[in-house]
Parts: sequence; C-alpha cells; structure tokens
Amino acid sequence: MKINHINWFLMAGIGILSFSCTSDLEIEPIELQTLEQVFDQQDSAGVNANRFLADTYRFLPNTGNRVGGDFLDAASDDAVSSNPTNTSVQQLATGSFTADSYQDNLWADYYQGIRQASIFINNIDRVPLKGNIENGTPLNRVWKAEAKFLRAIFYFELLKRHAGIPLLGDKVYQIEDNIELPRNTFEECVNFIVQQCDAIKDSLRTDPFNLTDYGRPTKSAALALKSRVLLYAASPLYNGGNIDAQNALAGYTNFDATRWQLAEEAAKELIDQNLFVLEPDFKNVFISRNKERIFSKQGGNNTSMENNNGPVGYSSGVNNGRTSPTQELVDAFGMANGLPITDANAGYNPEQPYEGRDPRFYATIFYNGAQWLSRAVQTYEGGGDKPGGTKQQTKTGYYLRKFMGNFENSTNYSNVNHDHILFRYAEILLNYAEARNERLANPDAIVYQAVEAIRERAGLSPFALAPNLSKANMRQIIHQERRKELAFEEHRFYDVRRWKLAETQFNLQLHGTLIFQTGTGILRQPNPILKMNFNQKMYLAPIPFSEVIKNPNMMQNPGW
Amino acid sequence: MIKRYIGISLIGILLATSDVYATHLSCNNGKFRTEESNFVLVDHTIQVVDDYGKPLQGVKIYTVDQSEIGETDEEGKISLASQQTYLLKHPLFYTIQLNHVTTDRVAMKSKMMGTKDTLTVVYDNLVKDQALGAISVLYNNQLKTSANALYLNALTGRIAGLHTQEVSGFRSARTAAITAQDLAGSLPTDATKYSTNMNDNSEVAFNLRGQSPVILIDGVQRDIFSIDPESIESISVAKDALSSILLGQRSSRGVLQVITKKGQIGAPRISFTAQTGIQESLNLPKPLDAYQYAYLYNEALLNAGRQPVFSQGDFDAYKNGTDPLQFPNVNWYNQTLKNNNPISKYNLSVNGGIKNARYALSLSYLNQLGMFKSSDEFAYETNLQNQRYLINSSIDVDVTEDFTIGLQFFGKIQDGRQPGAGTQRILESLYQTPNNAYPIVNPDGSYGGSSVYTRNLFQQVTGSGYLLDNNRDLLTNLDFHYKLDQFLPGLYAKGKLNVSASSSSLIDRNRQQPVYDVRYNDQNELVYVRFGTIADQPNSFATTSTANFFYFQGALGYNTIVQEDHQVSAQVFLDQRTANYQFDLPATHSNYAVTGKYAYQDKYSAELALNYSGFNRFLPGKKYGLFYAVGLGWDILKENFMEGQEDWLNKLKLRATYGRTGNTNEGSLGYYSWRSSYGQGGNNGYEFGSEYARVHSLVEKGLANVQGTWEKGDKFNLGIDASFFQNTLNLSADVYHDTYFDLLQQRGSTIDLIGIPYPNENIGKNRYQGQELNLTYQNHIGNFNYFINANASRMKTEVLYMNEVYRQYSWNKRTGMPVGQTFGYLGDGLIQTQSEANHAPKLAGNEVHPGDVKLIDLNGDGIIDQHDQTAIGNRKPTIFLGTTLGFSVQGFDFSVLLQAVLNRTYQQTDYSFGSNGESQGFDYLLGRWTPETAATATYPRLTIGSDPTNTPFLNNSSFWTRSGEYLRIRNLDVGYTLPFSLTSKMKIAGIRFFANAQNLFTITPYKRLDPEINAGTAYPAQRIFNFGINIKL
Repeated sequence: MKINHINWFLMAGIGILSFSCTSDLEIEPIELQTLEQVFDQQDSAGVNANRFLADTYRFLPNTGNRVGGDFLDAASDDAVSSNPTNTSVQQLATGSFTADSYQDNLWADYYQGIRQASIFINNIDRVPLKGNIENGTPLNRVWKAEAKFLRAIFYFELLKRHAGIPLLGDKVYQIEDNIELPRNTFEECVNFIVQQCDAIKDSLRTDPFNLTDYGRPTKSAALALKSRVLLYAASPLYNGGNIDAQNALAGYTNFDATRWQLAEEAAKELIDQNLFVLEPDFKNVFISRNKERIFSKQGGNNTSMENNNGPVGYSSGVNNGRTSPTQELVDAFGMANGLPITDANAGYNPEQPYEGRDPRFYATIFYNGAQWLSRAVQTYEGGGDKPGGTKQQTKTGYYLRKFMGNFENSTNYSNVNHDHILFRYAEILLNYAEARNERLANPDAIVYQAVEAIRERAGLSPFALAPNLSKANMRQIIHQERRKELAFEEHRFYDVRRWKLAETQFNLQLHGTLIFQTGTGILRQPNPILKMNFNQKMYLAPIPFSEVIKNPNMMQNPGW
Repeated sequence: MIKRYIGISLIGILLATSDVYATHLSCNNGKFRTEESNFVLVDHTIQVVDDYGKPLQGVKIYTVDQSEIGETDEEGKISLASQQTYLLKHPLFYTIQLNHVTTDRVAMKSKMMGTKDTLTVVYDNLVKDQALGAISVLYNNQLKTSANALYLNALTGRIAGLHTQEVSGFRSARTAAITAQDLAGSLPTDATKYSTNMNDNSEVAFNLRGQSPVILIDGVQRDIFSIDPESIESISVAKDALSSILLGQRSSRGVLQVITKKGQIGAPRISFTAQTGIQESLNLPKPLDAYQYAYLYNEALLNAGRQPVFSQGDFDAYKNGTDPLQFPNVNWYNQTLKNNNPISKYNLSVNGGIKNARYALSLSYLNQLGMFKSSDEFAYETNLQNQRYLINSSIDVDVTEDFTIGLQFFGKIQDGRQPGAGTQRILESLYQTPNNAYPIVNPDGSYGGSSVYTRNLFQQVTGSGYLLDNNRDLLTNLDFHYKLDQFLPGLYAKGKLNVSASSSSLIDRNRQQPVYDVRYNDQNELVYVRFGTIADQPNSFATTSTANFFYFQGALGYNTIVQEDHQVSAQVFLDQRTANYQFDLPATHSNYAVTGKYAYQDKYSAELALNYSGFNRFLPGKKYGLFYAVGLGWDILKENFMEGQEDWLNKLKLRATYGRTGNTNEGSLGYYSWRSSYGQGGNNGYEFGSEYARVHSLVEKGLANVQGTWEKGDKFNLGIDASFFQNTLNLSADVYHDTYFDLLQQRGSTIDLIGIPYPNENIGKNRYQGQELNLTYQNHIGNFNYFINANASRMKTEVLYMNEVYRQYSWNKRTGMPVGQTFGYLGDGLIQTQSEANHAPKLAGNEVHPGDVKLIDLNGDGIIDQHDQTAIGNRKPTIFLGTTLGFSVQGFDFSVLLQAVLNRTYQQTDYSFGSNGESQGFDYLLGRWTPETAATATYPRLTIGSDPTNTPFLNNSSFWTRSGEYLRIRNLDVGYTLPFSLTSKMKIAGIRFFANAQNLFTITPYKRLDPEINAGTAYPAQRIFNFGINIKL
C-alpha cells in the first residue's frame, strides 16, 4: 500500500511536468524587432530610424584599395597592381572576365542599399521626429531626402557600370512578389536620377562644412551628382555613340547636343552656389576637411592608404606597395611650366626625368629618389623599395603617393583624414569646362577660366593656356587635366569609356621603368609590364550572368 | 579495386564453405560414435562460466551429432557423462567442444559476432524476430577493437547503410567564444548551424542512407560520440520509417542508437582494460627542398613572364647548405612533427546485482597526444592533447514486483590542449611555408622570419604557449516501468525523465614572439630587423559553448493475446524535448503518438504508428503535423507448406515498412524565420560628423518565410531475413526507396533585385534508393571457431526537383544528377604545343599556353565559361563494402576488417605555390609540364600565383578529379587469453593480451593523397598500433 502511494506520487509528478511546462520566456524572440519598433511612433528623436538610415549610408561607394585590394584605376592605363597574382583589376584590364565573373560586380550590394533606402523612405513619416534644420525644413523631410539621395547615387553607380537597370520606385518587394523585372532604358534611368536630385535638393541640408553633420549629403551633393550623371549622359558612349545603336538600354538611340547643355547648366548651378573654392595646396585636398570637398563617404583618421600603398622598403613591415603607377601616367604629367614633356620648349631632360615636373606629379607618384619617411625612395633594381625576390613590390619603378599624409620627413606614420571623397569642386569645374566646350563651336573665355583655375591651383607657372585653341585641342587638354587632377579617384576607368576612347587607350601595352644604379650613374630602361585588352562589349559591364538566367525579362548587355 | 576486395573476401568464403563440408563430414562421423556410446552413465557435473568466471545459464549441450541434451541451470551446472564428447553452445559465446569431461568448470569465451534475441528500437524493446524495420546491431566485442577516441571509428565498414569518412585525424576544439553570431540567424550558415558546433565529433563524417541520423544515447537525443566502447553494450542503426516514427519531426533521418551496459544479476563482474598505442600520420605532404623550390620558383616566374629571382649562386648555396642563415633549407615537417605519438586508454567497469537491484559502473580515461614537437625550453607542455574522463553508472531497482526504476548517470570531462598558435593555423602555416623561407633560429637565438613570414613556424609549434579547452557533458536519466496488471493484465505505464547539460570553455595562454630577419649590411655586419609585434601574454577565459536539454516521456501500453493466436498490443505515447543552445530561445519538439501491433500466430504481423509532432519555432497554428508509418511481416517458415525444411532453413521472413516522416532541419530553417525581423547589423554602422560619432546599424534581418515548414520523407523499405544450416549462415537484405521532399533550400531564382537574401523555402525533392546486404557465417571445427561477416550497400541518389534556374545546355543541369554532384569543366590532359594553345578555347579571355590544362569547350563557342560546366567526378551509385573475418582457437583470437568504397571520387585541391604565389611547393610539382617532359607530365606548367586555367579552386576541372575508391585493412585485432585453468588458480577470471591496428594498409588508385583526408591543411589520417591487457575478475 505504501509503495503504491509512491507510485501515484511519481505518476502525478510526471503528469504535472508534462502539462505544466509553461515557459517564463517570451514566445517570440524580443531581439528580433518589428518594423514598428524601428520606425517607432513614440520616439521623437527617431533613434532607431537613424540607425536604420546609418546602415544605408554604409552602401555608399568606397574609394581607394577597393577592388580586390586595388584601386579601380589599376584597371586603367594609369597603374597596375603590384600583387604578383592575377588580381581582379588585372582581369578587368586584360578583359579576362565573363558575365559570370565581372570583377567589380556590385549589383547585389547596390540593390540591397536601394531596398533599405526605400524601406526608410516608406516608413520615416510614421516617426514623429521633432526638429528642423536651420532653414526650417523639418527633420523627417531632411532624412527622407538623404535616403533618396543615397538611393539615387546607388542607381548612378549601377548606371555607370551597366547602363539601363531596373528602377524599382518606392516598392519594397517581399518573398511572394514577382521580381522578374525588366531593365529600364538608359534615358529613363538618367531622368529618374536627375528628377530625384531636383526633388530633394531643397530638402537637404545646406551647409556642406557643418562639422556635426559632416558625412551627410547637402544640396550641393545633389547638384554634384546631377552634374556627373548629366555629363555621363551627354558623353559620346551614350549620346550618339551607343555601341548597340537602337538599344535604348545601352544608351540614347540618338545624338542630342542639348544634353551637353543640360550638363553644363547642372555644373553651373553648383558653381553658382559660391560655396566651394579650390584648396590652395593640392596635397591637402585629400587629407583634411576643406572647402573643396562637396561630399565624402566618411572614412576616418587612419593610416590605411599609407599601409596599403607605401613603398615596401620601410622597415615597419606595414607598407604593402600595392599600387604601381605606370610610365604612361608619369609621362602624362607635364612640366611645371605647363607644357607637356613632349613639347620642344618644355625643358624635359630624359636623364633627369623627375625634375621640374608638374607639382601634381610629386603629389601623386613616388619615383626613385623621392623623399619619404626621411629617406629617398629606392626603386632601382635591388634598392630598398624594389629588393627583388618573391615579395610584393612595385612592378613599374613607381609607387602611389596621392592621398597620403605629408610624411616626407617623419619617421613613421600618424593618422590622417582618409575620407572617401566622392565629389570635389575641381571635378565640377572640369565637368563644366568639358560640357561647355562640347556645346560651343569653339571654347570661350569661360571654358579657359575653368581649366586655368585647375592649372593655377596645381601650381603651374604659367598656368594660362595657349589662346585660340580649337574645340578639339581644348577637349584634349581637358581630358589630360582630368587624368592628372583626378588620378586614382575612380574617374579614369569610366572617363575613357564614356569618351569612347577605350578601344585605343585601353588596348595599350603598359610600361614601367627598370632603373639600374651603376658605378657610373643611373641607367633607365623601359619595361613592358602589361598588355591591356579591350573590345567593344567591355564599354558596358555585363549584367551578372546569374541575374539573366534567373530573370527571363532581364536583357543582357550587347556582346555578353 | 573491386577485384582485390572480392579476392580477399573470397578466400574467406572458400574457407568457410570448405568448413561446411568439413562439419558435415564430422557430423556424419559423429553419428556412428554417438550411437555406440548412448548408454554411458551421466556421472560428472560441470559448471559452465562466462569470461567473468560467473555461472552461465542457458548453455545448450549437444552431442556431436547435434542432438540437444539439455542446458545449464541458474548456477551454470549440468551433469554429463565423463567419457563423452559434447558441444557447448550459446549465442553469445564461442562453441566449445569438450572431448573428455574431466574438469569441473568450463569457461566460455564471448563471441565477436554474438547476437541477442532482443533489440532496442528507439524507445521500445522488441523480440528481434518480430522487428519489421531495417535494423542493424553491433555488440560490444566488435566495437572494442579500435583504439580511436570516438566510437564512430569502430563502426566503419561494419554496418550496411552507414557510411563514414574520416575528416580529421585528431579532434579539433572550438576556440571561438560565444558571440551574437552564434545565434541561429535567419539564414543558415555553417556558423549558425548550432548543432554542428555543439557535438564532440570533429573527426568522422557519417550518414545513414544519405541522411545524418539522430543519435540516441540510452533513449535520449544527444550528440555524444566520445563514449568508451568498453562501456557500450550495443550500437544499432534503424534505417526505416517505422522504427523512427516516434521521433516525429526528426524521424526522416534514421537513428543511431547507443545502449550502455546495464547491471546483471550476480556477483560483481569486474573488468579492467589498459591499452596503449602509437599513432603515426599517413600521407603527410612531401615538401620540396630549398634548391628544388628555388629552381621551380624561377621556372614559374619565367612562365608567368617575369624575371627569375634566384641566381645560380643561390642554387649552389641552397644545395651546399653552407650558409643556413641567408640560404636556409628547413624541412618544417621534420622540424616540427613527431612520428610516433602515444595514445592510451584505461577502463574499469563493475557490473552486478541482486535480484531486485542491479548496477553497472564504468570509468574510463583516455590520453591522446598529437604530432607536434614540444620544446625543453619551457616547463610546460604545448603539444596537442586530448584527455578524457568518463563515468557511466546505472542502477535498476525493482521497487515492487510491478515497478522498476532505473537511474542512470553519464558524465564526461574532456580536457584539450593545443599550441598557442592553434592547431589549424599551424597546419596551414606548415602547408604554406617554403623550406627557404627563414632559418629556425638566428645566431643570437632569436626566431628567424621575414617581412612576409612574421610568425616563426617553429615558435608557433613549440613556443607559442598553449590553449586549453575544457568540455563537460552530463546526462542523467530516470526511467520507470510500471506493470498495471492489477487493473488489467497486460497494461503498463512507463516513463523517462532526462536532464543533460553540456558546456565548453577555453583558456588562452598563447605567447607571441617577434621574428628577426638577419641581413649583412654594407660593413658585412649582421643586422637584425624585427617583424611581428611583441604582444602581451593573454590569459583569457571564454565560454565557447553551452547547452542544456530537458526530456520527458510517458507511455501507456497494453499487450494481450486473444484466443491464443492473436497477439495485440497498443501504446499511447507522448514526449517533449527542449534544447537550450547558447542564448537561443528554447527549441522544443513534442510528440503525441499512438502505436498498434497485431500478430497472427507469429506468422503474419502488422504495425501502425501515428505521431502528431510539433516544433515550437514554426508559425503559430502551423507547428504540428501528422506523421505515420506502417509495417507488415510474413514469417514464411511458419507456413505449413514450409514444414520439413528445418535441416537447412531456420528462418525466412519478409518484412516491409512504409512511412511519412518529417525533419525540422533547424539549421536550414533559421531562427523564427516565419516573421520578418529587424536587428543589429553586427559591428556595422556609419560615422557621422567631424568626430566620427558611430551610429550602429539596424538592419532588416531577412525576408519572412511564412510558409516555412518541416521537410518530409516518404520512406519505403522491403527486407528479408533468412538463416540456414542450423543458423550458421544468416542473411539479411533490404531494399529501400526514400523520397525526401519539401527540402529547405534557397530558391534557384534568387533575383538580386530584391535587395536581400532569400530564406530557405520548402522546395527540394531528392530521392535516395539502394540495396543492402548483410551475410554472416559462423561455425566451428572442434574448438576452432571462425566467422565471416560481409556487408554491402549501394546507394543511388537523384535530385528530382530543385527550382533550378534556366540552363542553356542540357549538360549544365543539376536536376536529375546525384545529390551533391560536383560541377566543373571537363579537362582533357595538358596542352602540348604552341599551335594547340593558339587554337585552344580561352577561359574567360585568359591566354592559354602549352602545359595548361586543356579545358573542353562543350558548346563550341571558343570560350570556356559557365556554359561549359558539367557534372564531373563520380555519378554512379556509391558502394560501400565491409568484411570481417576471424577465428578463435585455444585462447587465440583474431579478426580483421576489410573495408572498401567503390564509385567515389574527390577533387584534388592543392596547386602550385599556394594562392598568393609565395607558398610552399611539394613533390608533386616535380611532375610539372615542361617542353622536355611534355609526354610524361602529371601536373600543369608552373606559374606564380593562381593561374585561372590550372588552379582548381578558381576553375574546377576533371583534370583534378581523383579516384576516391579504396580498400583498407581498416582494423586488425589479435588476442591471447590465458588458459582458464591457469588464471582460475590466481583467482582471476580471465586475462587477455591483445594488439590491434587501425588503418593498417590501404590500396587506392591515387596514392599520393589519403582517399579520405586529402586536404593538405587537415590533420592527417592516423595509423594506430595498439597493445593492451584486459583482466576480468
């Protein structure tokens, strides 16, 4: 009998356990928040909404050692990667890629950014944000405009790679939605970006130099984006030179000179803001906050540029010498007197090739003998910065100097500003000069003025251009100025394409210089390092192969 | 391969069949003799004892003409005639032939292939002959012969349908602290498949009919693999739907069940085993010496259109070794690895009880050392080590006639150590550091190094401090069984309660040392340049995993026999398992089931089970599903028309099961993935303002998959069991046809425009079908007992549906291919001439040269791209074979396990000089293509960096496909047991000396690499030679 009691007790215990196992924990995990919590209707500070927006900023394009560790410019005729392997940029430069292996494919990333921006745009009005900016615009309108700016720049990044891409509007697609969308035409995409810039420009912040809001776009940023997109749209590749003439996805199907005028006006509107000036010291543009910068992605104070690209011989073991500028770029820099080195009057001495050059040369390139970290850079064979052996080192005899702090006479690096500059005033001036030159029959004084402003700041003396240049000559000069001024800022790769010159310019054999230090002096010898390959289809990057096979409405670009 | 396998197996079978003949002869001979001696007096009582010297009941005594005389009683005693010849038989022990009954006590020796009449299938004990499912069992003796740390190694080749592959020769400890990343995220990645992180097996990959089985330890679902075989009673696998249906939403995967030893009535049976062995690494890569390396490196540079970097002077210096400082030639494998590394195991087990209370206790200790050298410089050890302490105890008490309680406790403490640099990192460095990279030490005693090699490999192995990891596992079971005959005869209730916990932690005491690059300066003085940082010595502690589990089960059942012929039983069953992993919310599986069985005269039987099973992380309202299984059996031998076949046929039974099973697949399902959610974006964020004020990201965590549900299986199994010739030959064969559908996969059309990854949806459909055969022949000639077991399994898989994207060409299609088929380019040897290279299709526009892999342009468009990828490697059904042969005579016993795999390939992954073009080269590079060796080259021309055409990891091609077929002498075991007459004088029941070997010998077509562990950075496969002694009291 007693035993039986125990049994019943046990049985009852089990029974209670089985039916009373209610947990004290939440049914659904609280750390997985809902959309309502992100766009909180109670929070007048919009803390969570701001965090959501901050993540969208993350998708802003980077600059610098971005493509497999290299500058995108190392896929142009300006430089090669020092890495001995078949790097991403080398594959871009030699055309060794398929629709399935494009090495600068950011399709998925930007569409992710676009989705986030649209979620933000659709929901921010639920948040009872308090506050206005100085001119009285309510903060939620400002934030919404910022998201729209971000989305527009993401679309532009896709546009410059692939031409027409699907525009999603404000729709945020869910799992059951049909997302087999077709591409919009090039024209629709340009119009959309321009229309967005126009729509938001007066809702954005106004002061590009406000320290607390640094890194957020202002009206000027929207105008700068508009200037660039219209300049691209007016350029030969899309305007009259469409590689697939009747394919509206790849560009305009006609030529229209007024597109240059639109580009000119867009640049003019920004210039007329009178907010920006050229920073007097060229080197300083990249390592300080200054009045030339229009919009940057925040990068921070660090030594990343120095570590990635510094000459390899400095013993701290942190200089990776990743970028090797080519002899072609070196030769593109003229003399300090403003003349190209090929000019008989330039005073260029092939025995002393690095003397008396355009000051931007010294700010852009490390050459054998340049001063750095209290010693001369040694890129002669066997020198400290080109020791031979298996280590990564310059392939050309040059290293990249641009973007670095002024450590010529220091012993080691300290942190300097390395924001990713996306728009700066010098570009706008050059955009303006280019568009106006193309619009007019012959360059007028205003074109001269814009180009000469760049040359003056560069420190050329004299900076004035020869008078009465033809439109073609002026075009030549503007192209050259863009190459020198904007080197390694991700312009060259796309500029040569939009000018539709890549079939010649990007099919070149690239060179470096072998330097031998002998008892009697220095011997230089040109050294072929890479043969670029370009064919017509490469003007436009392929639509990712996977997108084409997954989506029956997705048209591939011509040739891919 | 198959020929050799069959050849060796045939020898065994021939032996066996000739013995059938022999025994028939001896039987016939015996007949005459017994007839003569039928009238001898029964005058002598003997006691038969087991290997513990304890009385053995139920030993059947036969005369030599196979007529049964009787069996031993509870005290193991029987009276016999002293002048007669008898056979003593028992299913668990080797047959003994007693020629003259002179001794008082006879000790029987337990069989390698012994079998029992009952089976545990998931939660139920069955009479073996009544089981309808596909079930295979291994008993203790077959598990004990390998010295490996995990019982999984002992299963290889022994069970049809269970496929194993070694993936590492040593356990690898989890060293990452728990972070938010471990939360089962909304998309499955390896990091979020928590179950893989939580278990203690990092050495053997295994599957049961292609699925990863649920592990049951004494009826509790826990992934514990480090249980000492000495304390395991049996390991069984259940492969069909009916057997596993009580697992409900985990029933698709099959079951691997470990039953630990339980107490037996009697005086204590004490067994002590001590064994120690040595492990040696198989197929270590063979590095090039410095001269060869430099020479080939130059060649590779030239091939890549670059300047050579080594001069003739350098070559000479490497060859002569006169300047080891500037021209080092260090074979890092020799310098850092040892050849013979000890492993030892000790086990003490005690087992016994009285009628109402039984107990079993087992204590084990394992100490396994790795292959790294240590330095005398330090007072502490740094070599890889695995120390394990196990305790397993169980008590069963009959509280009343009707009520039994069982209490079980299992505990594990495992202490691991590895060099401070980490085992995996060292293995990678070893694989990457060339012989000429740097000297081990510089003249001043500092570690050598360079700007590229900022950590010294010798320092990493011997001087980098250590990492200690500690794992604890605890499992407590309370079982009860109550017979409710007082209410209704045949009614019973049973239940189980289990609490278990597991956690692991890491102590980090690594030590970093800088390296110094030594050069001569202009004044010819040595200059030391430091690389690497001088870091603080950490002494940190982190919890690396934690989990606890609660399980309870209750069942009410009823057994009855109606009108003698109709056997009916039914059961209602419920259970719930709650798993708390790390800081996830509890994962709870619940089952509510009813089962029914019916048998008519043991001739026809039928079973039905319904299980309403749920998982708490599905959408509310969609958590539960119904799973069901049926089984049918037909014992043909019991039919009237089969009468009179007993002298050759002892069993013939057909059985079939079908079921609809489920699999939650927590790893692929994701964490509450049915709802959309937002949360922190890791450390991401954006820094606003001039002072870079960081605002941390808040992100959308993934698309909601509202329709997400469990995966399903339709599993059909048809089997036959047969026994012949007085049960000496047993056959068991199964065919199965399993279709799994609603498999959680990402859809094919994951269009990136949506801007967020797609979750896994219930999309895929795969079919697994195959055949399995298990044959055992056991017999004896006098006291020479011998046995052979052969098992074979063949499995064919096919992807029936996978929402595949549009493929332009039929050869691109994945659907219809085997599950997990490798895809890549077809390679056709190497390009031999320049003109061939000129005409060869280019891979994505890359130039090709003589000596490159010739890739086949399937669509003929002149370019090698994704359209030319097709199925490479094996597509045939895989075949696994295992044969165990052995004998026992006069105290000697011997067994050998041959294991083979057919129709298997793998992709070789090593390539010249590593991905960065600066890494180590190995002997296989000597076979590279050069114009001179064009005809005999086994490897493409060398290039620096990864040449796209020739580098497997960039573009996989069939050039790199290797046959993974092999035949292994997986295990060999010999033992000698001292005569019982001798040991019994010492009051010892038995002493056995034994030696065994694991991975003794391998035949495989591609000899350079191990067919199982073939990645150069994996811990190599081990061959183990092991010696030991077992003492029983």
